[in-house]
Amino acid sequence: MLEKFTEVMRQRVSRPLQYFMDICIRCGLCADACHFYAYSRDVAHIPAYRALLVKKLLQSKGNPLLDWYRENQHPDERTAEELRKALWDCTGCRRCTLVCPFHLDTGLLVSTARYALLQEGMGMEMVAEIGNAEVSKGEIIDALKEFYVEQIRELEGRVRQDWGVPDLQIPVDKVGARVLYVPVVGEHAIIPMAKIFHAAKEDWTLSLFTATNHSFFVGDTEKAKQAARWIVEEARRLGVQTIAFAECGHATRTLFQFWDHWFGDEVAGIQRMSVVQLIASYLQEGRIRVKSGMVDVPLTYHDPCNLGRNVGIFEEPRMLIRAVATDFRELTPNRELNWCCGGGGGLIAEPDMKETRMKGGRKKVEQIQRTGAKWVVTGCENCKTQLADLNEYYKLGVEVKGVWDLVAEALVL
Amino acid sequence: MATLAFLFYYVTPYIAAAVFLGGMAYRVYRWWQAKPVAGHLSLYPRPHRRWGPFMEVLIETATLKMVFNAIKISGSALPITAGLALHGALFLVLVQHLPVFFHLPAIGGTTVWVALGTVMGLAFGAFLLYALAHRLEGRRKQLSIPQDYLSLLLLIGIAVTGLHIHFLHTLDPQELPRFFLGLATFNWQPIPQSAGSSFIWHFALVQILMVYFNFSKFSHMVGYVLAKMVAYS
Repeated sequence: MLEKFTEVMRQRVSRPLQYFMDICIRCGLCADACHFYAYSRDVAHIPAYRALLVKKLLQSKGNPLLDWYRENQHPDERTAEELRKALWDCTGCRRCTLVCPFHLDTGLLVSTARYALLQEGMGMEMVAEIGNAEVSKGEIIDALKEFYVEQIRELEGRVRQDWGVPDLQIPVDKVGARVLYVPVVGEHAIIPMAKIFHAAKEDWTLSLFTATNHSFFVGDTEKAKQAARWIVEEARRLGVQTIAFAECGHATRTLFQFWDHWFGDEVAGIQRMSVVQLIASYLQEGRIRVKSGMVDVPLTYHDPCNLGRNVGIFEEPRMLIRAVATDFRELTPNRELNWCCGGGGGLIAEPDMKETRMKGGRKKVEQIQRTGAKWVVTGCENCKTQLADLNEYYKLGVEVKGVWDLVAEALVL
Repeated sequence: MATLAFLFYYVTPYIAAAVFLGGMAYRVYRWWQAKPVAGHLSLYPRPHRRWGPFMEVLIETATLKMVFNAIKISGSALPITAGLALHGALFLVLVQHLPVFFHLPAIGGTTVWVALGTVMGLAFGAFLLYALAHRLEGRRKQLSIPQDYLSLLLLIGIAVTGLHIHFLHTLDPQELPRFFLGLATFNWQPIPQSAGSSFIWHFALVQILMVYFNFSKFSHMVGYVLAKMVAYS
């Protein structure tokens, strides 16, 4: 029982995790930061306990006194169940890391241990499968390309007609473009950006790949790197200056926090940003104009964990929202202290997790209700899906929108 | 008995000190050896300072940012401020110990110095009891393992015996400094008698603590800065 988990985990303990296991004093401050603990009051949801559980399994056993002192557990069904709960019910939002006196990283622990759990056959199979598909997509991209371009042409025609702009273009695979835009799955990620790029007269091209990187959720760094490598290769082939990632939290995080280490010099000359930052720069430089005060509905902005706390994009989306809306209300707490929506860390892709997600989102629901906002704007695909689900489940009566939707609707041509 | 006393007063203190320092070096070496993460795990907002993560941590500590975050997140100021006060009291108690070791004239006069010892010693003890009560409450009890209690009980034992020595009227102010200075300079002095058996207990528990220190969560003393730097590198 759990031998494979222990073995894989031992090999993958990195420096921050070693700190975690050695110096965590179990003060319990992290419990207050966790949205899962907030509803369940279950000890397995306390971030420090998640680490303790893993530590107990990794420690050597056999000496009765030491076993008592360390409260060692012999892996059984109960431990496995607890471990599964501790490692699955986490969105990796790192709110606990922020409040921890030592900034011990539960997100890293969970992601590393999830990989080990996957080897044990108790992992998030669905998320891992999607991750595998993202890796193999690069190998068969030539075969997919023709069909994809055809689809985009069809979409282009529709957008032209709906929007009444006959010269709007959605370039794909354009050599020498300035910006490579990497979307997420679905046309909702392409339509608003096509409009904004058109308005900004940007020389852009659409990526054949998607920004999402599900291997990252299950801690499989090798595959996560491979999935990202396709985008790097595409960017170098096309000779772009800038890579802009769609409103997608974890992808933006890999872009900012891992690409330098994964690709080094290969991406040294390429500017990397989230589209939220790109749109904000358009507005600041006067390349696009918006109808200011077009939206008078009370609205609020949800700071996605990965865009906020983990990458540092706080002000750009607020600037864009304020340019368009008159009644902007902040959530409390906001920015780096914001509650997680409860859908991150790959939970969205795992059908079994729906119930957990809905419970984990309770804090978010309370926050939104307190503002009285009718629209909830956010900059992360994962958050959008989760917020839409919460809206339905708790009958909030709000509308969930991306920052790009807001800007695209208010564009002045 | 004489052999035992000899070992206790003139041999084990050196062993304890060696294990304390060596253990600390071993800990840092172990952390140094662990493989780094291929990524940088920053938390934001993070002003970019010229002197890097280390200054970042110092400034964050000095501005008590983490305390304010914890208060905002938990809605309760007591646990974190008590925890912080515990460390502050411990620090001042240790400062108050300095004349015992180095024969310094008590700064600011003996009365003030004794009063500092009284107040901070009692505060340290009180905060330790609070920490124990806190650990026995609800969720922290579920989160705690025997070593958490052991650490606290060890400190409580040291505080109680220390306070007892502090309030002893028989204490000779010259005797302990002479003994410790002798230990430090290998110029051994007679065993101190005026402090009685509380000194034996206090001295023994401190030696145990020094040995235990780096092999328990007390290693957060060094780990504090090092682990925190990870979040800012």
